[in-house]
Amino acid sequence: MVYKNGEVARAAKQLKARLDKLENKASIRKAPELTALYERLKELPPKQRAEFGKQVNELKGEVEQWLQEAKKPKVDLRSIDVTAPFDVNAPAPKLLPVELSSRHPITTELTKILDIYGRMGFSSVASRELDDDYHMFGSLNFPPDHPARDDYDSFVTDEGLLAPAHTSTMQNRVLRAGKKALLAGQAIRVAIPGRVFRNEDVDASHEHTFYQLEGVYVDRGVNVGHLIATLQSFLEEYFSKKLEVKIQPFYFPFTEPSFEFTLSCPFCAKAGCNICGYSGWIELLGCGMIHPNVLTQANIDPKIYSGFAWGGGIDRLVMMKYGIEDIRHFHSGNLKFLRQFK
Amino acid sequence: MKVSLNWVKQFTDIDLPVKELVDRIGRQLGAVEEVIDVGKRYHGIVVVRVVDCQKHASANKLTICLVDDGGVVKKIPRDSQGYVQIVCGAQNVKVGMLAAWIPPGSIVPSTQDKEPLTIESREIRQAISHGMLASPAELGFGNDHSGLLAIDEDIEVGSSFASTYRLDDYIIDIENKMFTHRPDLFGMLGVAREMAAISGGQFNSPGWYLNPTVPTHKPGEGSLVLQVKNELPNQAPRFCVVAIADVTVGPSPIWLQSYLMRIGVKPINSVVDVANFVMHETGQPLHVYDYDKLAGNTLIVRRSTAGETLKLLGDKVIKLDGHSIVIADRSGVIGLGGIMGGAKTEVDEQSRNIVLECANFDMNSIRRSAMNYGLFTDAATRFTKNPSPLQIINVIAKATEDILRIAGGRVASPLIDNYPTKQAGASSIKTTLEFINSRLGLDLTSKQMAQLLGRVEINCRVSGGSLVASVPFWRTDLAIAEDLSEEIGRLNGYDQIPARLPTRDLSPARPDTSWQFAQRIRELFSQCGASELLTYSFVDAKLIDSAGQDSKRAYHIRNSISPALQYYRLSILPSLLEKVHPNVKLGADEMILYELGSVHIKGIDDKDGLPQQLDRIGIVTAERSANKDSGAAYFRAKFLCDFLASQLGVGPVTYRPLSDSKKIMPAWRDSAGSFELSRSAEVLVGGKIAGLIGEPSTGLRQALKLPAFTAQLELDLSVWHELTADHLSYQPLGKYPALGFDLCLRSPTTATYASQEDFLHSHLSTETSKHGYSYRLRPISIYQSSQSSRHKQTTWHIDLWHEQRTLTSLEVNELVSQLAKAAQKKIGASVV
Repeated sequence: MVYKNGEVARAAKQLKARLDKLENKASIRKAPELTALYERLKELPPKQRAEFGKQVNELKGEVEQWLQEAKKPKVDLRSIDVTAPFDVNAPAPKLLPVELSSRHPITTELTKILDIYGRMGFSSVASRELDDDYHMFGSLNFPPDHPARDDYDSFVTDEGLLAPAHTSTMQNRVLRAGKKALLAGQAIRVAIPGRVFRNEDVDASHEHTFYQLEGVYVDRGVNVGHLIATLQSFLEEYFSKKLEVKIQPFYFPFTEPSFEFTLSCPFCAKAGCNICGYSGWIELLGCGMIHPNVLTQANIDPKIYSGFAWGGGIDRLVMMKYGIEDIRHFHSGNLKFLRQFK
Repeated sequence: MKVSLNWVKQFTDIDLPVKELVDRIGRQLGAVEEVIDVGKRYHGIVVVRVVDCQKHASANKLTICLVDDGGVVKKIPRDSQGYVQIVCGAQNVKVGMLAAWIPPGSIVPSTQDKEPLTIESREIRQAISHGMLASPAELGFGNDHSGLLAIDEDIEVGSSFASTYRLDDYIIDIENKMFTHRPDLFGMLGVAREMAAISGGQFNSPGWYLNPTVPTHKPGEGSLVLQVKNELPNQAPRFCVVAIADVTVGPSPIWLQSYLMRIGVKPINSVVDVANFVMHETGQPLHVYDYDKLAGNTLIVRRSTAGETLKLLGDKVIKLDGHSIVIADRSGVIGLGGIMGGAKTEVDEQSRNIVLECANFDMNSIRRSAMNYGLFTDAATRFTKNPSPLQIINVIAKATEDILRIAGGRVASPLIDNYPTKQAGASSIKTTLEFINSRLGLDLTSKQMAQLLGRVEINCRVSGGSLVASVPFWRTDLAIAEDLSEEIGRLNGYDQIPARLPTRDLSPARPDTSWQFAQRIRELFSQCGASELLTYSFVDAKLIDSAGQDSKRAYHIRNSISPALQYYRLSILPSLLEKVHPNVKLGADEMILYELGSVHIKGIDDKDGLPQQLDRIGIVTAERSANKDSGAAYFRAKFLCDFLASQLGVGPVTYRPLSDSKKIMPAWRDSAGSFELSRSAEVLVGGKIAGLIGEPSTGLRQALKLPAFTAQLELDLSVWHELTADHLSYQPLGKYPALGFDLCLRSPTTATYASQEDFLHSHLSTETSKHGYSYRLRPISIYQSSQSSRHKQTTWHIDLWHEQRTLTSLEVNELVSQLAKAAQKKIGASVV
């Protein structure tokens, strides 16, 4: 805008320059240039006052426009040459200093766990994030409408698909995939990491999205003692120390018998600490001997073969290990949290 | 499941200390959530007889009493006869009654859980009171504050109040989840059987449970007409009722109230309390109706009609759906079968004649109705575990007997047992010694197995290596040999199983190449100052909209409790972009965020017909303090993309301007919506789309308050994995030095960098191969003068060398001059 009055025009120019430097743009409304104009207005003889006042008002209007503009993100929308390695007149782009790098603690932990299972002879297959009722329940010996389903508060889509509430949703697939090798005399041994979901309210210790690792082992003559030894051997490797373990009765429709796997607290050697709730023991995994109906669903003859399966949460493990106080940090995307994990 | 230890002890002797017992329950039955020492609450409270009552001189509602405690309480002032003075405000206090005395120093039981109130001797209007006589409410029996709890049994004065009513009890709360398949464990009898067995003992069910005395009606005494019409033989496989006449309904005896109260059940009246007591004893729910309120003397089991209403006990009115199991009389619905009775036929203190119902309902229908109406009653909990229809007669017989004993009356109808499809009697499971041992990893003898099973009344026939177990009628969970292996393993103690690692051949485990590739990607990102994020797989409608995506293409979650989780995401980028502004606010100036995740798009299915999991790498970079001189953020994203490609040996990668997002292939259409077309590109490898790159759309920038310097990149993880080279290519190191020179080409601004680069490569490779040279080409700068908008200058650095000899500057000059000519001719660029 062009201001006829030199004083106003000068003030406009100064204000514009001031605005560019201001951190809090709105404070431009109280800028000395504007105050001076108001003071000046009072001094003017009535004849000139009307015209001067009009221009000052116009300037005020323009300042408001500037503020509106300043609120909009300053985006350069000129078309660029997307094939070029760098912008016109700009230096070659750089990435960020390596010390800013971070790896998510959950994937780091999963990697460590998969490495151990890998060394123990387990291959691995990632779980799915959207699955059908058959894999989530039906193939796992949950009859339709069975009350045992109540323990899995699953997200359901309009089509009736499910956000898996456990990595066991992959059991039928890995059993089918492993059948050929099984018949050729090789045990099925698979670890299944994955993201799972429960339709739950979120708080410091509950998340609707979390991570599990499932394991499956099937061969001839597999028994409960093998299950105990395999998990104990894994946990001792993971925690790098000797541990006491025990299994306690539990119920899952897809294992028979079913157990809860408990280990002596690796953080206090059973002395009692806040991680184990001063009990000396940590309940870590659900496990059991694969139910014959689950094997049958995968066309594996339960009279010839038997196996065990287990599943456990990864988030809790990571929280225990680092003393993370709030499970919500994991999906917060907060760099103050994430950049602590290299 | 709250288990009363004293109740259990009605069925079996348990000598183990509570701590040891609880420990064994955890190891051999199920996880214990809590153990409550009930007796502690009643510490010091004794039974006394009121021997004298005098009106208080200056307070007409108060009575000054003398009580006889048999002298058991020590250090308390007594009169010459050894009686203790207590001031009492209750109206029902009278000489001769037995009451509960809370002496000084003891705590009022009802205050234990909140602010424990310790009773002291104190003066009430000039009269000293040594402690207090307690009301039912103060003793934890309901809400009745109106008078004293009048002890209804003949007890010696000075007895402990707790032991009088078996309040010296422990409540052991076992996780319900453990018993999902065990309806028998929702009753004290079933738990007693297990506790006996895990304590090492043999359990014997009481006679009434094994050999019931079926209630019989003597027609001479006058009958009540009663009919049953079962329209749902599948949903109500067994429906058994009997009428009882001339009952006296009133408060239950205190011992009965005490049992119920300890496990958290509110006493109602004698008849209802017996029904509840027997349910908690056997796990089989029962219901009682007031016979005289029943229209047409008939109970009809039928399906509800949509829109019917039912006033439940407690007067809540529900509107029924069209598929609930209901009980009706001739006038309409009177109860929600297996879940809760109705108010109309409620048994109260005026009731004279009643109908007792004991039935089975389909567990799945009950579960649906309980969820639908939000009625998770004790009965519903039990019916969803499918209790055995074979115990119905035993339970109704026991309940009838208890009602007659406690509320009086007589059996006034024949027992009606509507049981359309009779279930086969006791079944048996055949297995072998070898099977059980091989599943458990044990070496038990058949005799040991039979003995273990026998403890819980599973009788076995053993011959040679085979074992035939008769399944008791209450064990609906036992069907196959594996079930027996659980029983044997558990009763023997899982801690007896030796841990042995399985043996397998030495064949290498197949590696998870996808995970390995993802790891490689993460390692590369760690060289770029990038941070790995995990964000939710779900987004809300608003974000889908801001990202220019079509929510119809996203899988919609129909039951989410959180409004933020409405859709499966169609692209990882919006979820990452959402995290930029919060981090800027927390002071992060620059960031590269990435996530390895998956997206799902309607219409894109895998070979099994399920939504295909599209694995993607999402990358977002932003910098708050970047200025004009930094250039477009796009180029940082491109630099990153080229870096990944060169490290992985993927390529050559080309970039094609993103035109119309609708024309792009379906798997990328949704991601494309979030890009600003004029500053974005498709990432192509070998003509195949491997990702999208660019800057976020204006809509997203505004919605998510993104810094001006923000760019994004989404890559197809599987495609990149496929394209990744096994190993990078190698060039032998030349012996002769290279000659390097800069070349600046002036070209129209409309000419793309790629066209110039393509030209240079094609020209140089032809020319150099002609002479046996080798070359290397790299860009240095792109300059555009502020005076000219029509031309730009691109500067290149070229290295030339020969494998066999040193090049001369003459040769280089020759090449440059040829290059200049060709550039002018082919791409209209002049050498500056």
